[in-house]
Amino acid sequence: MTQLILFNVTNGLIIGAFYVLMALGLSLILNLSNVINFAHGGFLVIGGYIAYTLEPYLGFWGALVASPFLTAIIGLAIERVMISRVYGRDPLYSLLLTFGLAFIFEDGTRFIWGANGKPFAIPAFLSQPLSNEFFFITGYRLFMVAMVAVMVSLLFLFLRYTRVGIRIRAGTLDLETVSALGVNVRALRSLNFAVGIFLAGLSGVLAGGQLGLEPTMGSGLLMPSFIAIIVGGVGSLPGTLVGGLLIGVASGITAAVFPSASEAIMYVLMAVVLLIRPRGLFGEEGMLT
Amino acid sequence: MSRNSVSTKLDRRTVIKAAAAAGVAQFASPFVWSARAADTIKVGMIDPFTGVYAAVAQNELIGVKFAVEQINAKGGVLGRKIELLVEDSANDVGTGVQKAQKLIDRDGIQFLIGDVNSGIALAIAQVSNEKKVLHVVSGGHTDGITGKDCHWNVYRVCNTTKMEANSVAELLFNKYGKKWHFITPDYAFGHTLQEAAAADLQKYGGTMTGNELAPLGTNDWSAYLIKARAANPDVLLVLPQGLDMVNCLKQVAQFGIQKQIHVAGLQQELESLEAMPPEARIGTWMFEWYWKQPGVPGVEKFVADIRKRSGGKVPTARTWFGYTSMMTYALVANREKTLDSVKLAKALGNFELPADVKLQPNKCYYRKGDHQLMTSAFVGEAVEVPAGDPEDLFKVDTIVAGDKTSPPESETGCALQWPA
Repeated sequence: MTQLILFNVTNGLIIGAFYVLMALGLSLILNLSNVINFAHGGFLVIGGYIAYTLEPYLGFWGALVASPFLTAIIGLAIERVMISRVYGRDPLYSLLLTFGLAFIFEDGTRFIWGANGKPFAIPAFLSQPLSNEFFFITGYRLFMVAMVAVMVSLLFLFLRYTRVGIRIRAGTLDLETVSALGVNVRALRSLNFAVGIFLAGLSGVLAGGQLGLEPTMGSGLLMPSFIAIIVGGVGSLPGTLVGGLLIGVASGITAAVFPSASEAIMYVLMAVVLLIRPRGLFGEEGMLT
Repeated sequence: MSRNSVSTKLDRRTVIKAAAAAGVAQFASPFVWSARAADTIKVGMIDPFTGVYAAVAQNELIGVKFAVEQINAKGGVLGRKIELLVEDSANDVGTGVQKAQKLIDRDGIQFLIGDVNSGIALAIAQVSNEKKVLHVVSGGHTDGITGKDCHWNVYRVCNTTKMEANSVAELLFNKYGKKWHFITPDYAFGHTLQEAAAADLQKYGGTMTGNELAPLGTNDWSAYLIKARAANPDVLLVLPQGLDMVNCLKQVAQFGIQKQIHVAGLQQELESLEAMPPEARIGTWMFEWYWKQPGVPGVEKFVADIRKRSGGKVPTARTWFGYTSMMTYALVANREKTLDSVKLAKALGNFELPADVKLQPNKCYYRKGDHQLMTSAFVGEAVEVPAGDPEDLFKVDTIVAGDKTSPPESETGCALQWPA
């Protein structure tokens, strides 16, 4: 039993790492622009399908690089045309807009690529378990964790050391002052949105190798990402990181002892955190009010 | 009015307008496939065209449309053309019931087809029964539809879960071993499927090493697979369907579990196999219908006709379900020369499908006592890399007749109550 739980903790960390990648994109957009992006799962699906379409021409690695950029470009266009129009309004507007977009994306992918799932292939050497005992640690899962680690590090370095990154962080705290200091807030928000969607696109490619590529796949991954943000604390990217890993591990352990509650445990965890510390583990008071 | 002056609060008028729009949308006209004409017979179809079952639902629609085309080309039903009204249940019981009521009350349909989702199928069967409309359940498998919840007006084309279990269980037990471990989707269909297979296992004297109940929509299967492998069974039965099945088998293959434990299941579908990469197409399964049946009359022509209407894709079991559901109505109504639901429902008892509709070697008929179609099970193995046609992803080993897999009528729990 101890071994089983240890296996599941390790496994939970692997799953949690994936939630982190998706939740960080969501969190970036929410923090700077107050947009609760319900279409994030849709962008993830688009990322996966673009990779599937490009794979025959560019191979897995080419698709892995190209697809997130193309998804980010689509995201940027949608942000410019639609989402930017609801900035500064009640968050309900952006919530309703992105909620509608999520449906459009789901039906759009169904229209373009068909309702049936698509087989997205990964390189053979990645789809092997590393050892007979730790059979659930496959090359692909380790690769996913490594990708998440690299992207999270790059994101934190970007936000910490680049001028744009510092402006994004400053904007998260006080956008009006940043604007008054002469920063082009419109461009800053667009760039920030594109970075968030880039992460969604990358999550889509990575998920496509592990899960079936299907128009509805994004919705199942969206809720855990929102929970990761709420548990970690709105406004805090390190919080999102911890939140994602926490719900992954909690879900992994629960699946070992009480499988039916493996999904419910995330919500229980969220409820407990909200009761004890409503701002989330690392959140700042007063966000999203 | 400038954009900046728009209030950030939702006002009462906006809310009322939105509510009214939502209300109108609910009662908007269904999608009418064939042209409306004055004197047509209206047939309603409800299936989940959005959501996780959209792919199989669309294939059922292709089959129904093809049947309507054939029926109308041959003069229709009692000299009247069929007009098909299609509604999306959105994989939601409430929506399905609402659509069924609308099709019957407002559109005046004579015959109803649907739904893929067992829960919706049961619920709309209740509606069609209250309204006395003949109804064929095309793709909902849970036993109750032709078991304890059966109705005089409801027939079913696809198999029951018990029939599916009976078709594969003996083979698995004799060939691959007597210790079985289950991964079961945690809802009505999964439970009945697992119980049926576990009952067969017990009958043969085997043991169950565990049953992992996984919530619908599970993405990560590793926790269940870790437990399953630790239990060291001879056979791992993977019972989830659709996207869940695809995800689970992809992960089974990546973990290499099939190298130690024989992977199998009951129901498998071409839609799922096509969504998997080659390495995940593993295991022993039953198909409810398969497109490659050399020498069986009518199959080749049916495949060619469907290919012309589906962008070159072959028909799946779902396409055949849709086709058979629709053809059943036309055949029985033209034979009986009536549209009266009670008379037609009575006439369908022991009604045998002709060769060009059954499209399988065995006798195929609706059983009188429970209204279940006695259709064959195609038992075989998934194919990793097809040798010829890229859609030939299943190797059929045996075709078992429906009355061999189905429990006797007396054991189904169905007691039909006919109207006075």
